[in-house]
Amino acid sequence: MTRWLVAACILLIILWYLSFTATRLDRLHHRVETSWANLDVLLQKRAAVALEIAHSDIADPASSMLLTAAAYQARDANIQNRSQAESGLSGALGLLLEDAEHLTTAADSALLTELSGLTDKVRVGIAIHTDAVARTHMVRNKPIVRLFRLAGTAPLPITYEFEADVL
Amino acid sequence: MLNRSLKIGIVCPYSWDTPGGVQNHIRDLAEFLIKAGHDVSVLAPAIDESNLPDYVVNAGKPISIPYNGAVARVLFGPVAFARVRQWIAQGEFDLLHLHEPAIPSISLLACWAADGPMVGTFHAAAKRQKIIFAIGPILEPAIEKLSARIAVSEAARLTLTDHLETDAIIIPNGIYATRYSDGNPQEKWSGNAIGFIGRFEEPRKGLSVLVDALPVISRFAPDVKVFVAGPGDPEEVIEGIDPQLRHRFEFLGRISEEEKANFMSSVALYVAPNTGGESFGIILAEALAGGACVVASDIPAFDDLLGHGEFGALFTSENPTELAKVVIDLLRDEEKRKALAIRGKAHAQLFDWTRVGDQIFSVYEMSMVGSQKVGLASDTRPWSRFLNKEEKL
Repeated sequence: MTRWLVAACILLIILWYLSFTATRLDRLHHRVETSWANLDVLLQKRAAVALEIAHSDIADPASSMLLTAAAYQARDANIQNRSQAESGLSGALGLLLEDAEHLTTAADSALLTELSGLTDKVRVGIAIHTDAVARTHMVRNKPIVRLFRLAGTAPLPITYEFEADVL
Repeated sequence: MLNRSLKIGIVCPYSWDTPGGVQNHIRDLAEFLIKAGHDVSVLAPAIDESNLPDYVVNAGKPISIPYNGAVARVLFGPVAFARVRQWIAQGEFDLLHLHEPAIPSISLLACWAADGPMVGTFHAAAKRQKIIFAIGPILEPAIEKLSARIAVSEAARLTLTDHLETDAIIIPNGIYATRYSDGNPQEKWSGNAIGFIGRFEEPRKGLSVLVDALPVISRFAPDVKVFVAGPGDPEEVIEGIDPQLRHRFEFLGRISEEEKANFMSSVALYVAPNTGGESFGIILAEALAGGACVVASDIPAFDDLLGHGEFGALFTSENPTELAKVVIDLLRDEEKRKALAIRGKAHAQLFDWTRVGDQIFSVYEMSMVGSQKVGLASDTRPWSRFLNKEEKL
């Protein structure tokens, strides 16, 4: 009799743990999706501001061309090439801002303030997203998750290799 | 920028009525957010309920446990857990901000109980401890629920990556830089005056290092005086000082914020000989903002805050001889002292609340995207949902 009770208890604990882990994983998948959506919006905004800068007086014709190309590339890239394209845009912006610092007028500096505010947010967004992805990978690699297929049909999130120091 | 007013819940792990860096930080943050038009509720343990500001909710009486080289007054247990759950359920918060959620406290309980947008701030910097690897697997799922983690310094971030294998965004602790920037230099603290502020009875504040360095300093600077401010009983410290040097020490007791500003702008040098357990060093930021020339031990947090010596002089921690050397060098060279103080004061603006508050708020915004309000975690578990459904039928 006691043997059955013990077995039932163990089974209950296992079931509880499975439910707990599944909830945890579900939360992580949700986090990956929302953090990516958020980051995507921010990056789109950044590309838009970059285009605006390219068309303003801040940029000389050559850098304007470079920036426009980089901005379009960043907007059109698919998720696999996205981080590379965004790094390219960061590079183009960096190149321009390096020598544009002393010649900005009031109207242009508003644009640059907007960009720097956006850059700060992108940095936080990247930190949140990469963390969510790394966590999800970690939990999905647990034997119990694989054995019971707790991840279900959710696709494995793609690691977004954004070079944060480029920003 | 979000323009609507948010309902923000902040959890303070330590007793509200004992002075401490985390408590001060939370108080300033809460006041910053309230001033920005948000609705803030702080849940904190407290010994005396009568003196709480109206945004603080008492969670119960704290108990004292030894933690990280000091005594921490925290609160946990089933009664506290029920209290935390009740606070979360009634608060209808848009976001929870948990401080120090990796120690046994109401912050951890809140992290366990809640579901939704949560931000955690990690203050402590500690050496690698074995114990954490035993409890790590239990903490992991809880800490994972935080949508964003903030570390107050590089040292705190390293502690976090070491212990829990997760990264964090670094946002320093805030100060109101303007409160310190226009102190009036006082005659009584002028000359070759060395300042020290802190709970000097605690060994990790390192007053004994300064005491040991004084014989050498006084040989080269005969008119040196040491002013020690902060709560505590000076008797014991005085007994440990060479009788011939006792008259060089003056204990001021606890001083007000205004006096602190005057103090920082008057003393020739501000010395922080802390031996460890410090993760940020808010007092250094205040000293810099007040225009003091700072000498500090080279523990990681101070080294980081002072830009590896660019904004204040460093000496090898727990080494009185080196401290004496640095102090004498600076007391003799007024130009160098002034240059350090000016660089330091400019650097301190980075820690001003206007900047730090905005940084924290932008992390809030990022954490809230696409999420609903904060609720209780148990309401979203499949089996609870199942049970609730049955009840409704």
